[in-house]
Amino acid sequence: MVAWKLILEAIGILIYATLMGFIFMGIERKAMARIQRRVGPPIYQPLIDTLKLLGKKESVSHGFIYDFGPVFALGASIAALLFIPIANFQLFSSSADLIVVAYLLEVPMLGIMLGAMSSGNPYSALGVQRGLLTMVAMQLPYGLAIIALVQHWGTFKLSEIVALQQLHGWSILVPALLIAMIVFDIVFQAMLGLEPFDIITAPAEISMGPMVEYGGKHAALLFTQHAVQLFAETAFFAVLFLGGASNLLELLIKQIAVLFIAIFVASIYPRFTIDQAAKFFWKWPTILGIIAVLLTM
Amino acid sequence: MMNEIAVMLFTPLIAGILAWIINVKGIRETIGVLGALVPFALLVKEYSTVVNNLYNPPTYQLTVSGFNITFKLGTLNWYFAAVASLVGVAMAFGMISTSRNSYDWLFAMMSYTGVLGVFLSWDFVSFFLLWELMTFASFMMVLKRNRHESLKYFVLSVIGAYAMLLAIALIYAKTGALNFDDIRHAMYLDAIMGGMSKSETILIFALFLTAFGVKAGAWPLHVWAPGAYSENDQSYTAFFSGALSKAGAYGFLLLYILMMVKLYYVMGPFHGHLTFAYIIAWIGAITVVVASFLAVLQEDIRKLFAYSSIGQVGYILLAFGVGTWMGFAGGLFHVLSHAVFKGLFWLVTAAIILQTGKTRFEDFGGLAEKMPITFAMSLIAVLSLAGIPPMAGFASKWLIYEAAIQAHMPLVAGAIFLGSALAFAYVVRFLYAVWFGQRPSDLEDVQEAPLPLLIGMAILAIPNVVFGVAPGLVTKYINKVLSYMLFLFGERKVDVSIVTGSYYKLVTPTGTYNALTVTLMLVVGLAIAGLIYIYGAKARRIPVTNTYQSGNPVTEDYNLSIRRNFYRPLAEALEFWLKYSFDRFYERLAGIAEDFADWLREGFYNGNVQAYSWYLAIVLLILALWGVL
Repeated sequence: MVAWKLILEAIGILIYATLMGFIFMGIERKAMARIQRRVGPPIYQPLIDTLKLLGKKESVSHGFIYDFGPVFALGASIAALLFIPIANFQLFSSSADLIVVAYLLEVPMLGIMLGAMSSGNPYSALGVQRGLLTMVAMQLPYGLAIIALVQHWGTFKLSEIVALQQLHGWSILVPALLIAMIVFDIVFQAMLGLEPFDIITAPAEISMGPMVEYGGKHAALLFTQHAVQLFAETAFFAVLFLGGASNLLELLIKQIAVLFIAIFVASIYPRFTIDQAAKFFWKWPTILGIIAVLLTM
Repeated sequence: MMNEIAVMLFTPLIAGILAWIINVKGIRETIGVLGALVPFALLVKEYSTVVNNLYNPPTYQLTVSGFNITFKLGTLNWYFAAVASLVGVAMAFGMISTSRNSYDWLFAMMSYTGVLGVFLSWDFVSFFLLWELMTFASFMMVLKRNRHESLKYFVLSVIGAYAMLLAIALIYAKTGALNFDDIRHAMYLDAIMGGMSKSETILIFALFLTAFGVKAGAWPLHVWAPGAYSENDQSYTAFFSGALSKAGAYGFLLLYILMMVKLYYVMGPFHGHLTFAYIIAWIGAITVVVASFLAVLQEDIRKLFAYSSIGQVGYILLAFGVGTWMGFAGGLFHVLSHAVFKGLFWLVTAAIILQTGKTRFEDFGGLAEKMPITFAMSLIAVLSLAGIPPMAGFASKWLIYEAAIQAHMPLVAGAIFLGSALAFAYVVRFLYAVWFGQRPSDLEDVQEAPLPLLIGMAILAIPNVVFGVAPGLVTKYINKVLSYMLFLFGERKVDVSIVTGSYYKLVTPTGTYNALTVTLMLVVGLAIAGLIYIYGAKARRIPVTNTYQSGNPVTEDYNLSIRRNFYRPLAEALEFWLKYSFDRFYERLAGIAEDFADWLREGFYNGNVQAYSWYLAIVLLILALWGVL
């Protein structure tokens, strides 16, 4: 028996998520421009960029792993997306729970880093180092926020977390989980790679870090991966703290709301250095996380 | 029929001695591999017997020097023994390539017997004897290569072993029992009657904690591990860290089996947890964090994996410390997955060191092209250790996460989150420094690893993937182990099935993980990404040195790969904490003890005749005061 409906839904969501991810990237650029009193590019600009990159006549490669890295990253992002309940589409969310999704959302990073390292470029290596240290730094508050959430709702299943929120109100209405949400939102900035935690790519500092060697179709793959990841992560946020959604429009509103907070923060803060970021994450977000966790015991 | 237990126990030892005596290249290797394969084959053969006699396990008894020695093959013992022998077989294949003489074979096989014996013993006489055999053999392996590190290992092991001997003596004095079953009964009765005082029970607990903590490399008794793991034949280290360190973890389970009720009565609960288990959980959590941080900062391939081993065993202790059935299930699963991925890592290290003769990260680079199969194997190990979903390492970590959060141990669970991010960081460091980037000119003629070593790697790589995609294979068996443990705890014959689901799917009361679906979705994702990749223009291959260097030309003379102090910012951020080191503390303590011994020797044994007559006078005076004279 083949669940055609499920497969069709998955394909539909994938296409929708990719397009929307690109639009989100466009919104990011547009909003950033408006904050700085520029007109900015049209909202579909990232899509055009990606298509242009895909149309390049030649691309270069440093070997098998260099090619495999971006492919693996995009593959893992797609897999992660399919396990998150997107609005009223449950997709495969009954097969994997919160911990699996949280892990899958980190796997693309490994793919990007694998590819970047095999290029042998010192800027890439520096970017990889910063990326991993950011991850080490943010993981403790991130983990604490998730633990607080799970302890409050008593389940790891994402669809059940959504159902419970629709029954008892959104997560953020619970004081302890509001604190957890603040922690998660700070970490979220680093997950999206936005200022003040855009330490990994750090344009103008280490010339795009891991992506420095990538051009042509590899860069197109990484752009697509970023789009899918952006959609998946904002949806993940909405599912965990904003009560999920009953249709795609509701989800879209919540996603854009989350995105706008991230953009507003990003556009007024300069970048942290990596050791400042580590010290910051291990101070305030961790303390808040511990408070949230203890409140939900 | 149950002589099979004796055969499986002593074949490796006999094979080791034979290999030592015969010492002809080719023959000693054959004997060694056969000696390693026999226990594994017998354990596979005994599987059905073990599973079908869940509450009445095969037993083998004999009398040696007036002691009744019992070996039992319950599901728990079988599990640990099977994991150890799997790693043992891989070690034997690896040693064909890496061992240079029969000395290695003798002691490697001797410790194999020791480890199996520890897992199969069901009384303290054989347990302690074989524990000592295991310690001695592994000490001899280190001794040949580095005296200082071996002595450090030896002294700590001796402290551990004699702490255990003291605890056994205390138990024997109080209960008169040495057999595990008898001790358990006696402790159970004692919990109700209250024969043993509170301080005695806590003392026994602390002594066992020291004994097993040393072997498991638990913080703060882990300092022997980095030295002992690295100054060794790396193929043997696969067994040392993959199987031998599990003896410590097994010891913690034994603590539960023997004294749980008594410890609970004495130490009571703490915020809904068993106090004694809570202590174990925190030791595990601290071990995970400290060892993983130190692993990230290492500059030597062997040291990195040594610290990583300590950290991963910390996960097992942490899981056992959670004290729920889920915790035991996660810990037991991690015993297997740590054995297979860390064994694989050490074999990869063995291959790298064998082929290049170098150990420091700054000397490596760009080996992926020269040793592609070894690289593929190390990639499997990396994915498993970092906990990437369709691998065994993820399934076990997933169980531990769920267990810790469910049991309301949030801060302990936070330590796992931090530990796994650190694991990401150190495996990437290893990947980058060894396999990628520019290749130093002296590594141009490196060859692929020899075949036996590759076979050893394959033996460990296959379970990583198979048990990752089908974690149900393991959890189904673990349920049987847990039923047996429940039977040992409370003497009720109830089948525990804590992790349900099918072969591909794990289901716990609060979560699900369908490994097959996750694998399929990853494959689908990779296929889609691959299609986009293929759609794009054909890629032209360029060398690593043709790279972006702020628009400047690059030649071979510039080393563009970052080989030294890769995680400098982290070291700087942790500056305050790195000032304190248990390693230095113990070294200083040893120095003080040595100085004291010197002072004693020079002060009393001074060659002055008058001094000796004074000693005589003082002794006579004491005797006189005592009223003897």
